[in-house]
Amino acid sequence: MAEFLSAFSWINIRFLLMGLWVTIEVAVVSVILSFIIGSLLGVIRYVKIPYLSRIVGFIIDVIRNLPLLLIIFFTYFALPKIGIHLGVMTSTIFALTIFESAMLAEVIRSGIVAVPKGQLEGALSNGLSFKQALWHIILPQAYKKMIPPIVSQFVSLIKDTSLATIIMLPEVTYRAQIIYAQEPNAIVAMFFALAVLYFALNYVISKIGRILDRRMAA
Amino acid sequence: MSMIEFKDVEKYYGDFHALKDINLDVEAGETVVLLGPSGSGKSTLIRTVNGLEPVQEGQLIVNGQDLANPQTDMNRTRKNVGMVFQHFNLYANKTVLENIMLAPRLVLKRDEAENKKIAMELLERVGLADKADKMPSTLSGGQQQRIAIARSLAMKPKALLFDEPTSALDPEMVNDVLKIMREIAADSSMTMLVVTHEMGFAKQVADRVIFMADGQILEDSPTEEFFANPKEPRARQFLSQIIH
Ligand SMILES: Nc1ncnc2c1ncn2[C@@H]1O[C@H](COP(=O)(O)OP(=O)(O)O)[C@@H](O)[C@H]1O
Ligand SMILES: [Mg+2]
Repeated sequence: MAEFLSAFSWINIRFLLMGLWVTIEVAVVSVILSFIIGSLLGVIRYVKIPYLSRIVGFIIDVIRNLPLLLIIFFTYFALPKIGIHLGVMTSTIFALTIFESAMLAEVIRSGIVAVPKGQLEGALSNGLSFKQALWHIILPQAYKKMIPPIVSQFVSLIKDTSLATIIMLPEVTYRAQIIYAQEPNAIVAMFFALAVLYFALNYVISKIGRILDRRMAA
Repeated sequence: MSMIEFKDVEKYYGDFHALKDINLDVEAGETVVLLGPSGSGKSTLIRTVNGLEPVQEGQLIVNGQDLANPQTDMNRTRKNVGMVFQHFNLYANKTVLENIMLAPRLVLKRDEAENKKIAMELLERVGLADKADKMPSTLSGGQQQRIAIARSLAMKPKALLFDEPTSALDPEMVNDVLKIMREIAADSSMTMLVVTHEMGFAKQVADRVIFMADGQILEDSPTEEFFANPKEPRARQFLSQIIH
């Protein structure tokens, strides 16, 4: 027990929290980027532009069926071979964004499809262009319905950042490993700390998501 | 001058021939009621007039533009041709006032103060000024439909299409909506094409009645003539079923 507690020195805690901050940074940037790109792709899938929508759909399907780890490896180890050098942080954000965009594109497409057809017809008959109808009427309603799935994508994104340990991104899981590599006795304590941190972070996000969802539904 | 003109129009849903050899001329300012049994193609016909359904053959000239031509910019037509639906289709994410103000702001670039003034006048006119800040879903069907009409009128259209505007309403709401439609029809510059089963309304305000069955126009007669002495046996049969 003393062993367990001694692992939580201020230095270790600080070290972990700095990692948690990296985790949050990576997740927030990735989620914002993938929200934008995913929306674009989802709309392209929805409007059925000849060829383009088919191609985009195919790429999305491929990405959705690849392990995220493979995409991380690819961006960090393979891209440099063709002259694209990204730092650890950028590689992680790049890989997560690609993966999450593909996931969100499907969420967003199905969110758009779920908006009753009469909303689009009403808007078009009212004189709005298709783009205006999409932007002012369809997408806001689609996003509102999509808050729960988007929040759960965000939560899995946070968990997925731990995969970047493998390319030595100094996020929280990686830092825990450094600590118990130096203090082997701290291993149980570190796993415990990781569990608590991930849980707390994701719990807060889910909670905020639920409040948001309830407020928007009202 | 004709506002809506169908010339030998054919419309298909895939293999299904939904509109057959449609010829119809609606003059500017006219009120025309479309009657016919369910599935006869009334909705399809009225939806082609603002390009919600494409037609495959013939010419469909609306406000001077041929909608049968795929190059035609439907948006220009829709600015001038409003539509009122059976299920209202108000914007679920906008307040009542925003429902009315959105299209004039985005499409006509109407000045904001002017826009609001016109919107409030229209709400006043349909008797719902006190609902300006409500969300549509909190209102009754009859109220929603009156707002949908106000939303169409805010664009100052030349023509209005109504597809069974009172069919989804509770009986006690129907008259409020019909009253507003009568007032619109009284405006001699507004062209109206109305699908309805309200025979009283048709008799009172329609200049002409079109009777459809199986995707065809079977009869096109002045209102009095149609109700007094329908030429087509199927129209006669339809009327006797509706009235009794
Ligand atoms: N989107 C569609 N796809 C295929 N068939 C349709 C579609 N809309 C209507 N139809 C068919 O076209 C015919 C006419 O329908 P509609 O215009 O809705 O008739 P009405 O409004 O007179 O009841 C019906 O047989 C209907 O099943
Ligand atoms: Mg119909």
